[in-house]
Amino acid sequence: MRRLPFAAWLLLPGGLALLLLMGGPVAVLLAESLRPFVPGSMRPGEGLTLQNYRDLLAPAYLFYAWETFRIGLIVSALSVLGAAPLAFAAVRSPRPAVRKGLLALLVGLLVMSLIARLYAIEMAWGSLGPLAPIGALTGIAPRSPRYAEVQVAIGLLHFTLPVVALMLVGAFRALSPRLEEAAASLGATRADAVLSVVLPLAAPAMVSGFLVALAMCISNFIAPLLLGRGVVVFTTSLMYTRFADIGNYPSGAAIGISMLLLSFAVVYGLAALARRALR
Amino acid sequence: MDRRQLLAAMAATAGSSAGPVFAQPRGEQLLVVMWGAQWIEVCRPIGEEWMRATGDRIQWELHAGGAMAVVGRLRPLWPRIQQNLIAAWDPVFDAMMEAGWMEPVDPAEMPALREIPDIFFKKNAQGQRMTVPLSTAGAFWGYRTDLVSGTPIESIEQLLEPRFRGKLCVPVPVNLSGLLMVSLAIQRGGNERNIEPGWQFLTELARRGNIGRVVANNSEMISAMSAGDLSVAFWNTGGWQAVRNRFPCRLLTRLTDNKGFLFNEGFAVMRGDNPARIAAAKRFANHFATAPINTRYNMPLGSGPTNVNSQAAESIRDIFYTPEELPRFAYIPDYSFMASQVDAWTRRWEQEITPLIRRA
Repeated sequence: MRRLPFAAWLLLPGGLALLLLMGGPVAVLLAESLRPFVPGSMRPGEGLTLQNYRDLLAPAYLFYAWETFRIGLIVSALSVLGAAPLAFAAVRSPRPAVRKGLLALLVGLLVMSLIARLYAIEMAWGSLGPLAPIGALTGIAPRSPRYAEVQVAIGLLHFTLPVVALMLVGAFRALSPRLEEAAASLGATRADAVLSVVLPLAAPAMVSGFLVALAMCISNFIAPLLLGRGVVVFTTSLMYTRFADIGNYPSGAAIGISMLLLSFAVVYGLAALARRALR
Repeated sequence: MDRRQLLAAMAATAGSSAGPVFAQPRGEQLLVVMWGAQWIEVCRPIGEEWMRATGDRIQWELHAGGAMAVVGRLRPLWPRIQQNLIAAWDPVFDAMMEAGWMEPVDPAEMPALREIPDIFFKKNAQGQRMTVPLSTAGAFWGYRTDLVSGTPIESIEQLLEPRFRGKLCVPVPVNLSGLLMVSLAIQRGGNERNIEPGWQFLTELARRGNIGRVVANNSEMISAMSAGDLSVAFWNTGGWQAVRNRFPCRLLTRLTDNKGFLFNEGFAVMRGDNPARIAAAKRFANHFATAPINTRYNMPLGSGPTNVNSQAAESIRDIFYTPEELPRFAYIPDYSFMASQVDAWTRRWEQEITPLIRRA
């Protein structure tokens, strides 16, 4: 009888934990998504059905899924754009105070109360807030319901920016400063060295940061709930309504499974595209 | 002394010396579900006094969203639930009764129930009382008079006017079990069973961009109506009372072409396998139903007390109706029917109304 290799034994506890923590709940969710819902009753329906999935093909639900990904993609791109200079300065600034200050700011943003951050955004960027005129530069009037989209994006950016920046700090630290010095010795300006040497080398980390930010955005629930004014609806909000407000577990489960598959497809699809582009 | 005697003596000594250390605190541990905002503010001190007086330990849990949410949350856990008392209102009581989760209540063990008119109780098929009614509350249209200039609102048809663009604060259908839809339907000649006219009215409001915010709970409504960019809302008396405490408001309780909605709020005693705990839950609910506590509970909520010996707040006289006014201005819909429609109404809202609000 063949014995399991040592590495397999080492993987076993983690694999079992993953199976129990992820596989189990997802399997239960999948089973629930195939059950019929009986309106007005707390008792589950009998038999199996695909109706909960068919309902999601209505244009409005495809729109909500698209909205979730659209806002997520915009925020993820803004996160990488905003985080890269911050992370670079936190690693390469000649002034220690700047490096320490930036790192403290990024970590501080992560540990600050989530609810406090979101309500602060509501007060500052809300339609009557002092920063609303800046929000209006997006072309959406602060008094229109659609302006909630701007607020949700800012709320999500608060979540993603420090995480992406800290990821990039690690990536920039791993790059030797000698590379920039070598470029400079060959006549490159500092900007040229950063754009043509540092950024291409940090690109895989930036793609990873983008994908992590996207995953954080599309699974976020609290920012659209508190800042969305009831009109920016993410698929997470739809799931919450089904589970918590109506008690329609089968429909909530169907949304959950669909989003899980869609998210895997988008994240792995984008990762594959990025790999091909970076080759 | 043999081994058994020695062990018994040791146990007795340990028991007597460790008694005060290991003694269970007297009273029962109760988990009570209550709404947030001013509901929990008024309940906490009442609960603390009760704990000091009885030794029972009250732990509060807040409703997340509308009270109906708790039903969805408890469904997969039933019967292994920790909650002993749940504050809810008519449609939620109907749903929990249908599921068989509630314990009957009886004046023999809860004497304060004798002081509550029989009409306020929800009863099961056997005629047993199933709820502890604490408040008569309502849901009404209203507006902040400091923010609405020009002609005062006398009909909700006026809400279609351009001056109300982005000014309306409305609940999602799952909140108040869809009373917003019923109100709009009544305006156009319908009711809860003929809801289509309500959807048409709602579609007009959304298409014109007059709906500025959709709220899902009391805190959101109070915060939205306090911010200053919204001026008109449809909400319950509790939320309105909190807004009225800070800003001048007019509640449209006596519209000639529409109705106000009345309902009862109170406690449901949850079934369980611990009779002592159920008895403690009933004692606590009975305490809330006594005249002094019923008065104290309802005053800050802006709702009417149910105990005939309680006093109603002066500030809510304009909200509630005299018996002669009731048929003219008030409407009590079929909440059980509405509870069965909430899923369909929510889906329709998501598919038709939210996209319109966003596009407007």
